[in-house]
Amino acid sequence: MREYFASLWSRRAFISEFSRSGLRQQNYGSVFGQLWLILNPLLLSAVYFLLIYVIGGSSDANRFGHLTATLFLFYLIANSLTGGVKAITSGERLILNTSFPRIMLPISATVIALFKFLPTVVVFSVIHVLIGLPFSWQILWAIPILFVALVMALGMSILISCINVYFRDISSILPYLTRSLLYLSPILYEASNISESIKKFEIANPLFYLLDSWSRVVVHAEAPSMNGLIQASLWAFGLLFIGAYIFLSRERDFAVRL
Amino acid sequence: MISLSDFNHEHAQHGIAVSVRDLGLTYTTSIEKKPTLKARFKSLGRGKKHTRIVSALSDVNIDVHYGTVLGVIGSNGAGKSTLMRVISGIIPPSAGRVEVYGSVSTLLALGVGFNPSMTGRDNVYLGGLAAGMSRQEIDDNFEAIADFSELGEAIDAPMRTYSSGMFARLAFSVAAVVEPDILIIDEALSTGDAKFKEKSLNRIKELRSADRALILVSHALATIEDICNEVIWLNKGKLMMRGEPTEVINAYREFVNARKSASSDEDV
Repeated sequence: MREYFASLWSRRAFISEFSRSGLRQQNYGSVFGQLWLILNPLLLSAVYFLLIYVIGGSSDANRFGHLTATLFLFYLIANSLTGGVKAITSGERLILNTSFPRIMLPISATVIALFKFLPTVVVFSVIHVLIGLPFSWQILWAIPILFVALVMALGMSILISCINVYFRDISSILPYLTRSLLYLSPILYEASNISESIKKFEIANPLFYLLDSWSRVVVHAEAPSMNGLIQASLWAFGLLFIGAYIFLSRERDFAVRL
Repeated sequence: MISLSDFNHEHAQHGIAVSVRDLGLTYTTSIEKKPTLKARFKSLGRGKKHTRIVSALSDVNIDVHYGTVLGVIGSNGAGKSTLMRVISGIIPPSAGRVEVYGSVSTLLALGVGFNPSMTGRDNVYLGGLAAGMSRQEIDDNFEAIADFSELGEAIDAPMRTYSSGMFARLAFSVAAVVEPDILIIDEALSTGDAKFKEKSLNRIKELRSADRALILVSHALATIEDICNEVIWLNKGKLMMRGEPTEVINAYREFVNARKSASSDEDV
């Protein structure tokens, strides 16, 4: 195992270059190119600005802030899942012709999702100032929460990339899965707005407490609830552990399954 | 069992580079090309297995010594590429043992890891890193790679704009700078035009040395006879013959001709 991770570490330059090329390919041929990394979150927040402030006639800065902040973090996870699902099946040429730790491929999918997430931090910071959301030192909780989100994104990417080798239908189900996660998570509403009876079931949603903690910290500038943070961390590390275990125990089989 | 980690092994001249013992490879494959949940549900309760077992290699024994250039010949589907993948550690064997004493580099397909949206220059880095080189090694060898590929200024154009010959030339040039202890090349010599083919062949000849083992898979029997000092012939996953290039190639030609006269149209 130590040798495996040493080999993975020695390939870090390839992971970075592979992710960069994958990201560039996604916007290849478009007029704005890599500028889309910043245009996407800008347009997304413009649409919700229109919905809340103009059409809805509301001036609730917290609601707009919550929506954009949680949506951006949600897309970090969703992009990692979408990139991860075909990471192995579309890496057929690499897998069949080169010997390398296969886990590199779903890791790259998460790195691409992170590259897409980073510009949203800048966009949200500007929104935060413009709409006058509160500031406090509690905002620094965003760093460990983002770390937990990355662990969760990585765990999901690794797990789903492996599942897709055996059940290709997963890639077709995924858009519905991510859409369901979007509606079941506190994005279009705040966690505090839902009843206690429904909240009991949210323990089964890996994103619920993660997004709630994120919103409390970056929108309301409050400390996250310890219970929420622990539940989000358990989900994140649980998914990473299970995903990595299943992946590593099956990866030698991938070359004959593709 | 396979071991590929002994990169700093100091090998004696004519010492063993690769040892393959009683190698077998069987794998279960679904009858459908892509396994889906639908297929699984359809087969539920019918007692019908939607899988079949394929025996790709059986009872293969080979020793490759340093200083050897081993040619691997056989018809399509004989198991040549599969054997190379097992030796490279890409596919684990189902039976037997593969021991590799030294660093291995594989050239099983050209342009592995390349991204057509990026320039030739970017792809030199991408392909080199995919082949296990460090960024520093690629920096040091970049000029040599660019010169060898003869792409000139096109190296800074996106690979999407390259002809297939240009693509293959750059891909071979990246692969040709790696100087491992053991180099496995599968059908990579039929690259580009006649001039570049000769250049590639000369590069392979340059790589022959007493402290390196080369394994070369090819359908080009004349090339195998020219470069190799030992040849193995595989048929349907089994080792048919091993020995002097001329002797093995003649036996293989006879075998194929006999099958052709028995109305077989299999590729040579």
